[in-house]
Amino acid sequence: MITVQHLAKRFRLSRQQRRTLGARGDTLQAVDDLSFTAKPGRIFALLGPNGAGKTTALRMIATLLRPDAGQIHVAGVDALADPVGARRRLGFLTGSTKLYERLTADEIVRYYAALAGVSEADYRRRRDALFGALGIDAFAGRRVGKLSTGMQQKVSIARTIIHDPDVIVFDEATSGLDVIAARAIIQFIRQCRSDGKTVLFSTHIMSEVSMLADDLAIVYGGKLLYQGAFADFTAASGQRSLEDEFIRHVEMAEAAEAAAGARP
Amino acid sequence: MSLPSPFMAVLRKELLDTLRDRRTLIAMIAVPLLVTPMLMIGTARYAQSRAQEAREKVIRVAVVDPRDDTGLADHLDAQPGVEVELTKDVVALPARIAAEELDAAVLVDETFQREVAALHPGGLSLLFKSSDDFDQQKKRLTAALTSFEQKLLDRRFASIGLASDVVHAVRVQEHDVASPREQLGKLIGGLLPYMFILFCFTGSMYPAIDLAAGEKERGTLETLLTAPVRRLTLVLGKFAVVTLTGVVSALIAMLGLYVSVAYGIEGVPPELLSAIGQVLEPATIAAVFALLVPLSMFFAGVLLMLSVYARSYKEAVSIISPMTILVLVPAVIALIPGTKLTAVTAVVPVLNVSLATRELVAGTAEGGLIALVFASLGALAGLSLWACTRWFAREDIVFRS
Repeated sequence: MITVQHLAKRFRLSRQQRRTLGARGDTLQAVDDLSFTAKPGRIFALLGPNGAGKTTALRMIATLLRPDAGQIHVAGVDALADPVGARRRLGFLTGSTKLYERLTADEIVRYYAALAGVSEADYRRRRDALFGALGIDAFAGRRVGKLSTGMQQKVSIARTIIHDPDVIVFDEATSGLDVIAARAIIQFIRQCRSDGKTVLFSTHIMSEVSMLADDLAIVYGGKLLYQGAFADFTAASGQRSLEDEFIRHVEMAEAAEAAAGARP
Repeated sequence: MSLPSPFMAVLRKELLDTLRDRRTLIAMIAVPLLVTPMLMIGTARYAQSRAQEAREKVIRVAVVDPRDDTGLADHLDAQPGVEVELTKDVVALPARIAAEELDAAVLVDETFQREVAALHPGGLSLLFKSSDDFDQQKKRLTAALTSFEQKLLDRRFASIGLASDVVHAVRVQEHDVASPREQLGKLIGGLLPYMFILFCFTGSMYPAIDLAAGEKERGTLETLLTAPVRRLTLVLGKFAVVTLTGVVSALIAMLGLYVSVAYGIEGVPPELLSAIGQVLEPATIAAVFALLVPLSMFFAGVLLMLSVYARSYKEAVSIISPMTILVLVPAVIALIPGTKLTAVTAVVPVLNVSLATRELVAGTAEGGLIALVFASLGALAGLSLWACTRWFAREDIVFRS
């Protein structure tokens, strides 16, 4: 399970970032009072446009960034007090995940198993199962730089779960992948749910949400706009498409923000 | 075979990754192993061949002797490698020398014989075109003119019944009490640190850039930081590999230096080779190696820190490359005569290693100062590791964009 409570993160902007983002101040509130819970055996989708704060939130959950405020618990471990313990229970995969091109698939997976403190027996068992299921055996001894994107993605998956985490976080995991590689990720996410894992994934692609999500949160401008079961979300949308319903939530938030700004 | 501990896993992985990187291999092994002997052997052979050429070159000298009665032309002609041309055309001489038709010309004053007869100095003018090439030839020509003067002096002293050495009231004999090791040590001891400090730095440079800025650029650093391992362990593993590559690179450079001196340069006297053997004895090598380790650790900490700060491989190269000059300046200062290992210079990084190496190689090291060098290097290495660990922990640095 992942529990996030009142999470906040503000970034200091460089002059170049201020110019690029058109920001007025020298800081940016990337995540603002974000709270949600992702449960075991379910897929939780974090939906939002680019720049909504999804990646920042997931990076905080993966303990790459430290929040300014709030609490994060990963499979019962306080991620702020024990980040290594939290990471031991968590696997993190992004679409931009890269691997060491000069190492073989076998060497990379073994390396991450050693970093996670996996025992030799557990490593052997999990390696054999994963390599067999993902079809990595055929290219396990080849250097990753020589592998296709799809093969590399399979190695990334094996690397992510070699330590058998309870929670798996996917940050725009299919972004930039071809159809075949993206399909492998989608199948893998479903498999994680079947295995009883807690799955949290961020995306801005509606079709992925409708294919995978059991629960849904919409974030915009770092704030939570909606949280609930995906079935409830679709029921509330009525005749509107998912995309229209998502845009309706975003427009309501923008209108509320504009009204707050207009108030004396 | 069981899985290694996280630290050993990082160490092994970074080492494997580094040894499979062609750029690092070139900087760490190929350059020091090949460049040192090529520089040493190439420079020495070129200098030898130029010196030989200058020694063997026939010097074409025009002699203008108005009365043809001084015997100078015959004296010069009798010298080996000197070709004399008698002429009266004084006006054309500067142009002929400038056009390198002649190497030099000696003009005898009209009053030469009269002055010599009156026991005064007779006047000679030497015309030449100064250049690096002419240095050696000018020495030979000056020596020939000096021997001509000595001939006249001998005649002058004989005419008054005195031996020509009567003008010398004191005879100084020099005895250098420094052992061959000390003499050679001061020479090699200055050059040795210059070489190994440079290669220690350049050998560490590429792995440091690759293991931090390279990882950042390739997108593997973020993945690595999500692994359930302490960031300190990751930094220590990278730090150990960068230190190791620096040490190995410097040792290879020293090996290249020894091999080139011992086997590559022709005509090295056996006694010099024996002295080099004494200088490069195991105890000295061990002491120099002991200095090299904390120095390389210091470099590793600083380089990794700068590397993780950079946004990309290219930016890291542009930040770190100019530092080569910063590293070389103290090494060059150590070559300035009179620069000694003192309580002050012993705490100046790089300079202290250069000076301590010179003392160790010459066998004149003072225990207290060497201990101070080790203490300051150890402190600097610790400080650089601490700073590096702090920078790896800062998200505004690791995720700087």
